[in-house]
Amino acid sequence: METMQPFGDGFVTALAPELVLVIGMFTLMIVPNLGDAKFRIPLTQIRIPWFFGGKRGTLDSDPRLPGIFASMFFVIAFLLAALSYMNGMNVTMIETESGYDLLLVNEFSRIFELIFYGALALASIASINRIPATSRKDRSALGLYNNRRQVDFYILLMTTGLGMSIVALAQDLFLLFIGLELASFSTYVLVSFMKETKEGTEAGMKYFIVGSVASGVGLYGLSLLYLWSGSLQFTELTLAFAENGMEPLPLIALGMLLVGFGFKVSAAPFHFAAPDAYAGATSPVAGVLATASKAMGIIGLLRILLVVASPEATDGAAVWLIALAVLSAVTMTWGNLAALGSTNPKRMLAYSSVAHAGYMLAAITAIGALNWEPEHLNASNDAALAVVTALIFHLVVLVCFKLGAFLVLSILESEKGGHTLASLDGLAKREPFLAATMFIFMMSLAGVPPLSGFVSKLLVIMGIVKVALVDVTVNGDLTFSDIHWVWYLALLMVINSAISVFYYLRVGLVMFFHEPEEGREGPLPAGRSVRMAIVACLLTTLYFGVGAGQLISLCEVAANALVGAW
Amino acid sequence: MAASTGSSVIVESTAAQYAPLIILLPMLAFPVILLFGKLYNGEKFWKQTLKEGGLIALPVMGASLLLALWLISDFIGAYGGVQKLSDWTWFTSSIWESGVATKEVSFGFGIHVDHITVLLLFVASFLCLLINTFAIGYMNTDPINDNRNHRFYAEFVLFCSGMLGMVLADSFLWLFIFWELMGLCSYLLIGFYYERPSAAYAAKKAFLTTRVGDVFLMVGLAMMWYLFGSLDYDVVFDKYEIKSVAESNASMLAWSLGLMFIGAVGKSAQFPLHVWLPDAMEGPTPVSALIHAATMVNAGLYLVARMFPFFGAEALHGELADLAFIIAAIGGTTAVMAAAIAFVQNDLKKVLAYSTMSQLAYIFTGLGAALYLANTLHWHEYLADGTKNPDYYVNHAIVIVAFGAALFHLFNHAMAKGMLFMASGAVIHEVHHAHHHLHHHDHDDGHHDTPKELIMLADYLEANGQTAFDFFASIDLDGSGEIDTYEFQTALKNADVADLPPWEMAPLMKALDLDGNGSINVPELDLTLGRIRNEIDEGHHDEFDAQSMENMGGLASKMPLTATAMLVGSLSIMGFPLIGGFWSKEGIIANTWRVALDDPRFMYPALCVLLGAGMTGFYMSRMWLKTFAGSPKGEVAAHVGPTNTWIKTPLFILTFFSLAAILFASMGFTHWAPDIEYGLMSDHGGLWGGFLYEMGHVFANEKAFFFILTYVALFFGAIVGPGMALSLYGGALDEGEEVKPWFTPVLAINAAIKGRYHWDNSSFAQSGFATALSNRLYFDHYYDMAMLKIVAAFSFKSAEADSKVIDGTIKTIERTSQQLSTKLRALTTGSARDYILMAAVGTLALFALIWGVIA
Repeated sequence: METMQPFGDGFVTALAPELVLVIGMFTLMIVPNLGDAKFRIPLTQIRIPWFFGGKRGTLDSDPRLPGIFASMFFVIAFLLAALSYMNGMNVTMIETESGYDLLLVNEFSRIFELIFYGALALASIASINRIPATSRKDRSALGLYNNRRQVDFYILLMTTGLGMSIVALAQDLFLLFIGLELASFSTYVLVSFMKETKEGTEAGMKYFIVGSVASGVGLYGLSLLYLWSGSLQFTELTLAFAENGMEPLPLIALGMLLVGFGFKVSAAPFHFAAPDAYAGATSPVAGVLATASKAMGIIGLLRILLVVASPEATDGAAVWLIALAVLSAVTMTWGNLAALGSTNPKRMLAYSSVAHAGYMLAAITAIGALNWEPEHLNASNDAALAVVTALIFHLVVLVCFKLGAFLVLSILESEKGGHTLASLDGLAKREPFLAATMFIFMMSLAGVPPLSGFVSKLLVIMGIVKVALVDVTVNGDLTFSDIHWVWYLALLMVINSAISVFYYLRVGLVMFFHEPEEGREGPLPAGRSVRMAIVACLLTTLYFGVGAGQLISLCEVAANALVGAW
Repeated sequence: MAASTGSSVIVESTAAQYAPLIILLPMLAFPVILLFGKLYNGEKFWKQTLKEGGLIALPVMGASLLLALWLISDFIGAYGGVQKLSDWTWFTSSIWESGVATKEVSFGFGIHVDHITVLLLFVASFLCLLINTFAIGYMNTDPINDNRNHRFYAEFVLFCSGMLGMVLADSFLWLFIFWELMGLCSYLLIGFYYERPSAAYAAKKAFLTTRVGDVFLMVGLAMMWYLFGSLDYDVVFDKYEIKSVAESNASMLAWSLGLMFIGAVGKSAQFPLHVWLPDAMEGPTPVSALIHAATMVNAGLYLVARMFPFFGAEALHGELADLAFIIAAIGGTTAVMAAAIAFVQNDLKKVLAYSTMSQLAYIFTGLGAALYLANTLHWHEYLADGTKNPDYYVNHAIVIVAFGAALFHLFNHAMAKGMLFMASGAVIHEVHHAHHHLHHHDHDDGHHDTPKELIMLADYLEANGQTAFDFFASIDLDGSGEIDTYEFQTALKNADVADLPPWEMAPLMKALDLDGNGSINVPELDLTLGRIRNEIDEGHHDEFDAQSMENMGGLASKMPLTATAMLVGSLSIMGFPLIGGFWSKEGIIANTWRVALDDPRFMYPALCVLLGAGMTGFYMSRMWLKTFAGSPKGEVAAHVGPTNTWIKTPLFILTFFSLAAILFASMGFTHWAPDIEYGLMSDHGGLWGGFLYEMGHVFANEKAFFFILTYVALFFGAIVGPGMALSLYGGALDEGEEVKPWFTPVLAINAAIKGRYHWDNSSFAQSGFATALSNRLYFDHYYDMAMLKIVAAFSFKSAEADSKVIDGTIKTIERTSQQLSTKLRALTTGSARDYILMAAVGTLALFALIWGVIA
């Protein structure tokens, strides 16, 4: 592993994707403002060309530019991250002069960066159609609105991306929190971005209020931790927990942090603002919330919970186990039941995303159930690897089909639909390809082979079962009492998946067997870039299902970077 | 036998890399044809140029065949050391077994190639292509199929991909998956004319009957999974795996194989699951040729042949002999039973259906005998204790040749039966055509243009005994003597015939309004309804059966190629010396008797196959003579003409293949088929040497017993059976009919024997036994009764339980969940205050839970 200080040698290569985003932000701020402004030196008539302001050029102030630029920067960042991942990772630790770990660039953080940039790139491309920029001559109210807020929207997307990658890279709880807040604040604004609608503003407001309460609680937990151990470094926290983790102070702090991250992954009962936010935001943004933002929360949870549960802190392992198990059981059941009756497809997807959070929490719970006694170490390590692999795989493929489903709804939103199930009626007659694609996304969400959603669910369930059977493996004898109770979480997950099929299939039903609503006959509004993004989602959904092997091995490498060191 | 060595070699072969395409191409053609069919249905380009998808299917099947041939030639070139050629892994994962740490399992699909695969692969891909060609000539020229042939071709290619996938699969699991895919396609294709109740019934029957077998197959596979922890051929055929299972659980393995055999019984239509096959002839003829003769029924045989490594394993020596006997006994029973039923069938395709059943039974008997030999003889180079086997050469040859005979018969039968079905299809097609030509020519148009409402109206009047005048008087509301659109519309509505909007009345009015004045008077109504009445009546009396041999006869001069093909095919099935099936059938009979000498139980199947040989000779001769010899029975048969090129080409090719069996036999096919290391044409000095050896082996066997057996079998199969048929049926053609020279001796002998020895078989034909035979020995009857008495009663009960208990529970769950859902969603009040309150509750709950652990 290479260590370096900020702005030391190789810093730029290590953090290239993030720096691209920073450059992108500044580009977006500067370029649309370029004009023929001149600066007159006071008391003289000398005018120095200043270029910033004044009469803007036609090309650089084209309202369509920010969308294209932002999409380009996201794609470049994605490609840079992907390239560094493919060409053998150069694991780099960035630390302060005093040797204090700040950011760690390894396979684990890279794959999450890929998730974030992938989701944001797709959302950004889709938004070109969702919040369409017209020519500068457009004087209609909506045209003016949209043209003026283009830059804001895309800059916010970029800050979201930046915050998220800091979360992925952070080696310090405080830094992680800063990244989390940067991303969160950006998403609060993004949710309320459609200020001409009542729902958008209200949703953003609610999301902000509940989110800040959750953040406040989390921050309080953070400060208690600092008070207790004097450091917020993961490595040091691990040691501290191993020594005397059973004290009330760190445990209260742990509970508070769970609340903070629980909100981010929308675990019940901290999920309430999520359905409102998803329904109020534009669909691409809702898609980002359901995928990238969720992945960010999962990183937070993984980091803090693994700190407590790592082999060095064996005693502490069980502390959060029951709490998280209950949280996961409640979350997945709540999400699925609530989605059953939901007639707004966006809320339905929001609840389904709550249910998916429950599945992922179940996987994390399983890690807590591992037994780190010496003779169990190998089997436990294997099992932990399997679970984390499953988790990462799940988060990756979620970007493909959950975001894809939101993007399909985004086209419907362009014709003032997408808020009722009825607006999907007869989609197969209107646009067969889109309906088939949506159906595939739904099937993948429901977990139908050979789509990627099936593989991800299978991997998670197998991971949990693997954990539950660690004792059986070690003792070499199949007795029921040796099977750990987390096995029931896998069972609950299967039952919940069965329930979920109902509401996913209902989407297929209305698309293929209902007649289009009146006034909604004929093809959907045009939009080449959003359709391109949907096709990308479709292809990856299929490819990661049929060719799951490759992605699994990538995820294994990433998981190994996180837990392999144990 | 390479498989029993258990070593699987993955060979880098270019052909193998493309092997999955053999399955994928037809599978991908399925949606393409279906989609295009939906989109372009009825358009000229689609109909004429692409033959409604037939010319999409044809190149696809051609490509599959070419790839298959490539693979086969690679395989033969590698001399059999090759087992597993390519492997595609979906993903790998670890599983646990109690005691053992971890074990990797892959989810994926592999191509497994060995001698049995090669044989079946050729048969399946070759016949699929030929039948596709035939179908273009058969399906697309029949107006009844117009605008729905795309459904046929789509299901056809899907079926082919199922068959090819089953043959190439590398595990019993995939075999089962493709097996079921075929089952599905078979259901769809038999029910192609789903508007006919009989076809719908037949499709259901075929599906359900084979499903009975499939349930057993599934249980057998589950048991095998339990025993081996895998269904991959590499694992289950591994010598050491078999050994360890044999030591711990041999009887369970025997049960597992036995249950799998029941699956094969269902698929190959053997006693007692045979009832579906004759009914399956409701499907179009290409379907009968493909599914019920050439490919699908072979799936059952393939499954049994696949079990060979278990029977051949030294570790299971003697353990599976009973199962081998059961296989042979089921085969023997079916062979005789089906042949007997075929005696009295008059439907051309039904005779062939029973003949298929009977010949498959032969192969089962042959397989049973071969498996018995493999299981009871020490035929491996080394014995179980590792010492050299003194009887290796003798026993090895015996086992291999017995197995080879069964496989060779499979090959010969598939070729001959595919051809016979296609030839019968040609006959039926032309007879139907001639009938249509004779009877329907004059009013071809008109009838089809009659609006259905008017037909219903005519029916209504007939049912109520009203004349057109009564009807007219009742509907002429204003008494004007003319009825207009409105009055007619009201009348139709009142008569409950149709409730049409005014704009849809126009075609009806047009059909009735003969003088074109815009309204209808009494004579117009009377005339038109009278014409419709006549057409309906004629339609009811039109019960001409184009498949019945009672309507044929004397076709040898009119359809020379078809008659030749049918003749060669029949001779091949009969086992007539030197033609086709002769080479394999003699082997099956000889080997069954060889076992019978050793194990007296086998006397039963041995006698059955001997008797069956004579019966085959009779019914096949009867079929040919009734169709092609003698005078035409009826006006229609006299007007039959030759058929089209699409139909002729496959017939011609297959005739060649049936005749060429002598070549294959001389090459040592029976040795090669089961033991690819043997090498074609290597043992007896080339083709001519091989020919001399085979001839000597068959006709001048040095063992007295087999020498006599051969001639007894020949006496029954080639003299007694055909002789009886010759004396009863056929006869010389009508005066002035020109025939090809090779028919002349056949017809002359026929005329001579019939003239001299003709006897009256009416007493037999009216006997109770014949009635029983024509009622298919009442199997269907008793099955139906059993269904009604037991199954139906049970179904009604379970339907009731289903609607009350299951549905009730599900409904309750659904209702409860929906209510719960509503309640849960009601918690999402929309007010941020409440959300924070809930979050606070959650936080406290988390604290409590964590606290609970440490306290």
